[in-house]
Amino acid sequence: MDWRRFGFIALIIIVLFGTVIMIGQVKQPPLLIITSMLATTIAVATPLALGALSGVYCERAGVVNIGIEGMMLSSAFFGWLGAIYMFHVFGMDIGISITLGVFFAILTGALMALLHAVLSITFKVDQIIGGTVINILAVGLTGFLNRQLFFGAGSVFGGNVPNSPGVLPTIHIPLTEIFTPVCGVSNACLVNLAAINRVFDQKPIAMGAILLVFFSHYVIFNTRWGLRTRAVGEHPKAADTVGIDVIKMRYANVIIGGMFAGLAGAYFTIESVPSFEPLLTNGRGFISLAAMIFGNWTPIGAWAASLVFGASQALLINMQIFRDVIPPQWSFLQESYIVGLTPYILTMFILTGIIGKTTPPAADGVPYEK
Amino acid sequence: MQSEKRSNSLARQILQSVMDASLVPFLAILTAVIFGGIIIKIVGGDPILSYRGLIEGSFGSTKALSETAVWATPYIFAGLAVALAFKGGLFNIGAEGQLAVGAVVSSLIGYALPEWLGYDIPAIIHLPLAILFGVLMGGVWAGIVGALKAYTGGHEVINTIMMNYIALNTTSFLLNGVMKDRSPTNVIARTPLIADSARIPPLFEGLRIHWGFIFALLVAFFIWWLLTKTTLGFQIRTVGLNPDAAKYAGINVKRIIILTMVLSGMLAGMAGTIEVTGLNYRHELGFSIGYGFDAIAIALLGKSHPLGVVLASFLFAAMRNGATRMQFLTQMPVDLISMIQAFILLFVAADAIIRYIYRIKSKGERVVLTRGWGG
Amino acid sequence: MKKFHFISAMLIIGSMILAACGGGAPSAEDCSSEEVFCVGLVTDVGKINDKSFNQSAWEGVLKSQEDGVADVVQFIETADAKDYAKNIAQFGDAGYDVIVTVGFGLGEATNAAAATYPNVRFIGVDQFNAETVAGVSGLNFPEDNAGFLVGALAAMMSETNKIGAVCGTDVVPPVWRFGEGYKAGAAYADAEMGTTTEVFVVYHSDVGFDKTFTDPEWGAQTAKSMMDQGADAIFGCGGLTGNGAITAAAQAGAYAIGVDTDQYLTLPEAAPRMLSSAMKLITPGVADLIAATKDGSIQDGNVFGDAGYAPFHDLDGEVPAEVKAKMEEINAGLLDGSITTDVPPVKP
Repeated sequence: MDWRRFGFIALIIIVLFGTVIMIGQVKQPPLLIITSMLATTIAVATPLALGALSGVYCERAGVVNIGIEGMMLSSAFFGWLGAIYMFHVFGMDIGISITLGVFFAILTGALMALLHAVLSITFKVDQIIGGTVINILAVGLTGFLNRQLFFGAGSVFGGNVPNSPGVLPTIHIPLTEIFTPVCGVSNACLVNLAAINRVFDQKPIAMGAILLVFFSHYVIFNTRWGLRTRAVGEHPKAADTVGIDVIKMRYANVIIGGMFAGLAGAYFTIESVPSFEPLLTNGRGFISLAAMIFGNWTPIGAWAASLVFGASQALLINMQIFRDVIPPQWSFLQESYIVGLTPYILTMFILTGIIGKTTPPAADGVPYEK
Repeated sequence: MQSEKRSNSLARQILQSVMDASLVPFLAILTAVIFGGIIIKIVGGDPILSYRGLIEGSFGSTKALSETAVWATPYIFAGLAVALAFKGGLFNIGAEGQLAVGAVVSSLIGYALPEWLGYDIPAIIHLPLAILFGVLMGGVWAGIVGALKAYTGGHEVINTIMMNYIALNTTSFLLNGVMKDRSPTNVIARTPLIADSARIPPLFEGLRIHWGFIFALLVAFFIWWLLTKTTLGFQIRTVGLNPDAAKYAGINVKRIIILTMVLSGMLAGMAGTIEVTGLNYRHELGFSIGYGFDAIAIALLGKSHPLGVVLASFLFAAMRNGATRMQFLTQMPVDLISMIQAFILLFVAADAIIRYIYRIKSKGERVVLTRGWGG
Repeated sequence: MKKFHFISAMLIIGSMILAACGGGAPSAEDCSSEEVFCVGLVTDVGKINDKSFNQSAWEGVLKSQEDGVADVVQFIETADAKDYAKNIAQFGDAGYDVIVTVGFGLGEATNAAAATYPNVRFIGVDQFNAETVAGVSGLNFPEDNAGFLVGALAAMMSETNKIGAVCGTDVVPPVWRFGEGYKAGAAYADAEMGTTTEVFVVYHSDVGFDKTFTDPEWGAQTAKSMMDQGADAIFGCGGLTGNGAITAAAQAGAYAIGVDTDQYLTLPEAAPRMLSSAMKLITPGVADLIAATKDGSIQDGNVFGDAGYAPFHDLDGEVPAEVKAKMEEINAGLLDGSITTDVPPVKP
């Protein structure tokens, strides 16, 4: 474990939270601020962490993936479209439509990743160019189809955007129910308990993302599959000589990575809000790429880095909420343009290697030739 | 007689090499256009009418031609920026940000310099200053990334993406704040108009095509000369092909990496500064149409050769410009253009597909940019 | 072999170009003739199906066609600000009778085109001209009044005495007027009712201009963050970003308040919890101006469209009679000028 890096990440998050608490405490009790910020942080970090996992799988196997953004965008669209088709055209049940929508999103991610794999592994196209192709293609394809299918009298749904069947439900963790007896009759205790409970009440993809982070960490560092993946990414020649099929391993990992990006796409249109808009991923794929590097190509590290991005967005939102009570000497915190720069500058700072060297897989980006 | 024969065969050689180099891109474009046509047909449109609109709108009249050149101008600069970086083995995804900071600085010089000095400056000084500072700002913006790459190994792809966000936020901050046009009728985030003395004159009265277009062609020629005829160009290409070999050959690799990024950023900054001084006469926060990504596609399509970049810029400019007429005739959305462009890029990048379809033998050349992240 | 393929490819593209040039004439009717009434619309740098003001304006154009006013309607989406003039000229050269340009960004291009095409009526949505330009009618709305109304409503209906608004960027004046009007309305209601309401207004300004209205995910997160801190009424003002906030509020069981049109009808996901909407009636405004052009009653200069609040629909039973009465009183006061929002037209 890279304790220096995690220490640094923890420090940033504490500073971000501390700033908001310091300013907001005149209006809200600190506990409420912390729980509210935590909930925002976890939600914002969800697609970033999934995108970063996508990058980790690809790059651990030696394939650079800057097409995460495009994979997310197209999955968000086709997942949403799939759910609508299942619901309106095939008349399926709401729950089944939504579930199938998630499935379609993951499938789309896998297909886009397959394209990336074919380009970069089989055709040995430069992997960054392959990713760029995916990004541009996703923008054109989703924009065009969104328009042709849903707008105008000649479109499939006759110009009326049909409402999506809905979003995944929140899963309630019964903390309140379990701990209510502990509180007894104290009303403040109950209020705090409810606030804490809200942090744990997340939706399936947000919860799944956290589990997948730890699961992936285990897979990559403690299983045979992970060992082989890393061997292929670090030293493909040596891996080949001991009988590992380099091409197959790379294909498999890129497609797994695509499925993670697909799940991230599903988060936008099937878990968070039930609608698709052109360019709705808004560069979050690139941010997850940064999170992956920030976290030194490890799943847990990438997740921690995603939390930094989440926390800084929580800070931005709260600074506007507490606009009236910001002391004058801190007024620069209201300038969202300036405060919004923090995560980007931190990423560049991390890349300089001052806080522990970032070490990518040795054969990352290099096509394998026998 | 002898010499005539030789020159004849030389001309043929050049023609042959140009044809060889342009064959795959040409077929890639053709295939993408056919793909696009099929898609239009599938969604119930009229491919012939759509393409007719596209061609009419981009080449159909003097005005249309002028507008195509107007579109091509920033594309040439930005495409050259990415192409130059490619030659040096660097991937500059940050043209968008460099373009924005260039535009901001040059509009600042354009409108504020006379105010600061308190008197009007002649165009012969003001215009070059406005362009120069914008270009320098672009160079600095990319140079930071180059220095980080050279001294810490931080990968330029991530750093240019981060610098894009930083540029975007900073620009918004300035255009909403100190640089905002304070005239009572203005409500949006834009700078005041730049002074007349900082404007590039139009080429012809009544058309929007301006001298910046000619300048772009000259710069393209200059970059070709720089890359092929000078020591610096040789060093850039050597570092791009094999940094280790370059090191053994005694080239200061760090210096060349920084210099390549600075030059690339200057070209991207020029794209922004020429848009301000030649066309819009101010910088305005608007929807980014993704010059950065278009520039990458243009550089790849043009095989990073300056002449190729100019031609590819024209193609992209024609498609973007002709889209208006296409929409007017058929109501095909602009996104169609992005899709055709993505196909072109796909086929150019994966030329194996094109070579397979048209049974052309490979020459075994390949672009290599990715060398891992950390370095 | 290689040459052969190259030549065959050349032939294909050559024939394609020939086919393209020899294609049939455009099927649109001849707009330059007197009898045919043609209406064209140029979007600002946004999509025609943005579920926001471009789309509302286009629906106004379509409405005029349905009403039998316009014979031919057509739109062009702008991809880059430098194409504004060119896109307007496309309609002007084709002899269109009315050209609708949407958004303040097109103001200068519209005024310039009015000089070039003196026979064309220009309708500029959200374009306020300090001086009257011949041939241009600017359609504007008192967004602050609409925001004021829903702000007062939210303050009166809130049980936690905390309400929120999630908006696009405050750089765009109509959005800023909605947000500030909301605050002012809540303050007015407090003064009338003797309550103290805390108002959270958050603008999405930390991203690019193009992202600020199209980020439903951010809108949803921001709304959730406000609700975590106790807000129980959320006003979403700002295109799709606002829609995200409205949907998130409705899912959490808070009061959701829409913007621009009666979003009870356009956001079915949020309809059950939709308290009201701050309405800015672009669609009828555009259709009315087109009709006025045809019958010749249109005037140059600024025209003010209607703004108000939408019916309570499903929640009608939850709104006490005294609140309903108060809302009508405020609306009347705003219309006759006895109540003012004191929101300046532009962020100072």
